[in-house]
Amino acid sequence: MSSSSVEDIPDQKELFTQDGVLLKACIGRSVTELNSVGMLCIVQTGEHTKTIEWRPIDTITIDSDTQDQEWAVVNTIGRRERTFSGNLTADYLTARARIIRIPLDELKSFRVTRNCQLIQFSTYPGVWQTTFYFQHGNAETFIANLKSHVKTAKTRHDRNTYVVVEPNTESQVLNRSFAELDIFTENTTDVVWNLVSNFKQRPYETTMEAFSKLTDIVYYGNEGVNGKRDVSEEVADLLTKSMSALEEATTVTKSDEYEVISVKPTLPPRPSIPRGPPLSAEKWEGLQDTEGRVTEVEGVKQLIFRGGVAHSIRQSVWKYLLDFYPWHMTTKQLKILHRKRTDEYYAMKLQWRSMTEAQENRFAEYRDRKSLVEKDVNRTDRTHPFYAGDNNPNLVLLQDILMTYVMYNFDLGYVQGMSDILAPMLLLMGNEVDSFWCFVGFMDRIASNFDMDQAGMKQQLLHLQQLLAFASPELARHLSSKDSGNMYFCFRWLLVWFKREFSHRDIMRLWEVLWTGLPCNNFHLLICVAILDAEKETFINRDFGFTEILKHVNDLSMCLDVDRILSSAEGIYHQILSAPHLTNQIRIVLGIPTVGNVTDPDDEEPSTSMDTKDNGTTEPDDGRDMEEGSIEYDGVRIYTVTKNVWALLA
Amino acid sequence: MAKTYDCLFKLLLIGDSGVGKTSILFRFSEDAFNISFISTIGIDFKIRTIDLDGKKVKLQIWDTAGQERFRTITTAYYRGSMGIMLVYDVTNEKSFENIKNWIRNIEENASADVEKMILGNKCDLDSKRQVSKERGEQLAIEYQIKFVETSAKDSLNVEYAFFTLARDIKAKMEKKQEASNPTRGSGAHQLRANEQQRRPTSWLSRCSLL
Repeated sequence: MSSSSVEDIPDQKELFTQDGVLLKACIGRSVTELNSVGMLCIVQTGEHTKTIEWRPIDTITIDSDTQDQEWAVVNTIGRRERTFSGNLTADYLTARARIIRIPLDELKSFRVTRNCQLIQFSTYPGVWQTTFYFQHGNAETFIANLKSHVKTAKTRHDRNTYVVVEPNTESQVLNRSFAELDIFTENTTDVVWNLVSNFKQRPYETTMEAFSKLTDIVYYGNEGVNGKRDVSEEVADLLTKSMSALEEATTVTKSDEYEVISVKPTLPPRPSIPRGPPLSAEKWEGLQDTEGRVTEVEGVKQLIFRGGVAHSIRQSVWKYLLDFYPWHMTTKQLKILHRKRTDEYYAMKLQWRSMTEAQENRFAEYRDRKSLVEKDVNRTDRTHPFYAGDNNPNLVLLQDILMTYVMYNFDLGYVQGMSDILAPMLLLMGNEVDSFWCFVGFMDRIASNFDMDQAGMKQQLLHLQQLLAFASPELARHLSSKDSGNMYFCFRWLLVWFKREFSHRDIMRLWEVLWTGLPCNNFHLLICVAILDAEKETFINRDFGFTEILKHVNDLSMCLDVDRILSSAEGIYHQILSAPHLTNQIRIVLGIPTVGNVTDPDDEEPSTSMDTKDNGTTEPDDGRDMEEGSIEYDGVRIYTVTKNVWALLA
Repeated sequence: MAKTYDCLFKLLLIGDSGVGKTSILFRFSEDAFNISFISTIGIDFKIRTIDLDGKKVKLQIWDTAGQERFRTITTAYYRGSMGIMLVYDVTNEKSFENIKNWIRNIEENASADVEKMILGNKCDLDSKRQVSKERGEQLAIEYQIKFVETSAKDSLNVEYAFFTLARDIKAKMEKKQEASNPTRGSGAHQLRANEQQRRPTSWLSRCSLL
């Protein structure tokens, strides 16, 4: 591509570009120029001069109709000049005048605030001349790039401010040495630049190749490469230096508001959080006031999250957890409610029980549902004594409840998997009315699992994939490479909430913990991540393929330790939460307030009042009651329970 | 790991919920039957290696959930199937009627040259029968697909069905190989001629014998 034909534009090359950057403030510019969108670049303007350049969008898109052209123009500035060399419009010239340039050797300092979305530059001590706002994402990658061109240091008084120590002379020395070594046939500056910029995408391929050549020289001397050059200690020294420089570029640097994404982001170590004792009958009684209202609902949930519910009180507690009984109702009110729900149940039951055979024959949709229910009831948990044997009356109950549910929600009807969901409830409750309403409560939470188009399941599988990619990237990559990135092999886990993977006793424990809704949304997906992560070595080391993955996952059934999995899922949750590179995508899946939006001030759920320092907010934690309720595990502070509950636990 | 087989065939069992797909598979892979089977959620597969004319053929048989709404997920596993067993329940009229829908489903999601076979399962339950054997045969002729009535419970024709399907796949593979390798001697021609003679008599006669 030919270089510019317009004289006032020097021969320049974009080293980095970031779109969607708003000009928020600039000394010496009119207000009308502010708040316009543009592209922030780092450009190479001469052999040794680099400049930060911001271009308003109209200089970029001035003649572009299509996206492709737009990109072409962005990528090759020379082409744009050619286009306009003949007929420079006044508009274009005005727009051109609006370009802001900050030569890197003039840059004194920069500051990053507002969750790394706002960046300010200064070329004169004490004055922030220009301020830019990153609309899309944040300035992390821009800064990472910038730091490869200038040497910076943090100021002591303000951890968000970076001072440019000196123009990066070291890299120039490095360039020169590379040139002298004649290892590369291309322009050496390019190579060094590519080395640094490609590091992020292809860390090993990009650098190792180059370094291996260097190492050859260092270790094998003259014979190593071309035998022409004498390898001085200086080169060896340089090699070490550049290695450590790159190493530095790959580690995470953090401040209150701003982090540079590490090249290969890793999660902080996983805290191992012990499980607690189950909520006991005594405590449960103690948590009700004299009229039978459950006080400290949040605390109860936290206790259940930590240890589950003692079996002796499950019958009672589940009704609350599954929204059959409202927590705030008195015993008296509950009695009335129960009577009402009993009547409702039998009314719905009568609707289908009173259907004559002739009616049924003319009601295909009903018939289909009934036939499905019958088929599944006869093959649900038949090995469990409660459902075993011919003519078991409990099978009739199972059937009756599912058929009544068909009348309760005819559109959803009966879908395979529902009998699995119901079986442990009937086993626990022992009567149809309570089982039915608890079943309704559970179904309300997971109805989307049974969508006709399976959209709910697909969404969850996608979210699971996203979480796994974040929490266990190596495994996620392996699965993708084996055609298993869609996570379909976890379908059974999600559809019936692991019912097929655990014994009745264990599934009761797992479900009640999950029903608390703690510590975040979609915690059941983190259960999946925990199970898969525990199998990571097997999957990767034995190079499991598509079929082996499915087989292995299916064969895990009844081999899983519920407490261990709950504990590691919680550990993973804390790892994710304190990861410096936590993304909004993950935050959304887990229901954590996103960064960059206004956080909901009402959101004081203990589940999210974690040590949020690390996810980029400056607001000090809401520290109420937390001292007593926080425990430190492996360096991570975890708020297990609030003060009140802490007292209850004692 | 050393290969303990000469070739691998991927087979698929499809059909309405409760027709006995898992039971058929269990009978074939474990030679057992369990009245209290659990419904299949999602997908699973079993392996059995059979001896087919001196060749060790590993059959990887995929079992799917039958209910219609899970089809969006289960069809993802159709890819690469070389043979499909379409199963209905002779005591369930609807499951028989749905075979046509399942065939359409295959056409949309499996490769065009996949070998197919229709199985009318639960033929031991004669008192509850809703679909006659003749209707099964008629359907098979209509679609040019082999057909056999089976009973996973009584172990009737299950073995036969899988061997037949596997043999058809093998024959098709050999034919394809031959076609792509036409320079081979006259022996190959002879083999093809034999094949053509044998085929028309084989499946219809055998099925009607049952």
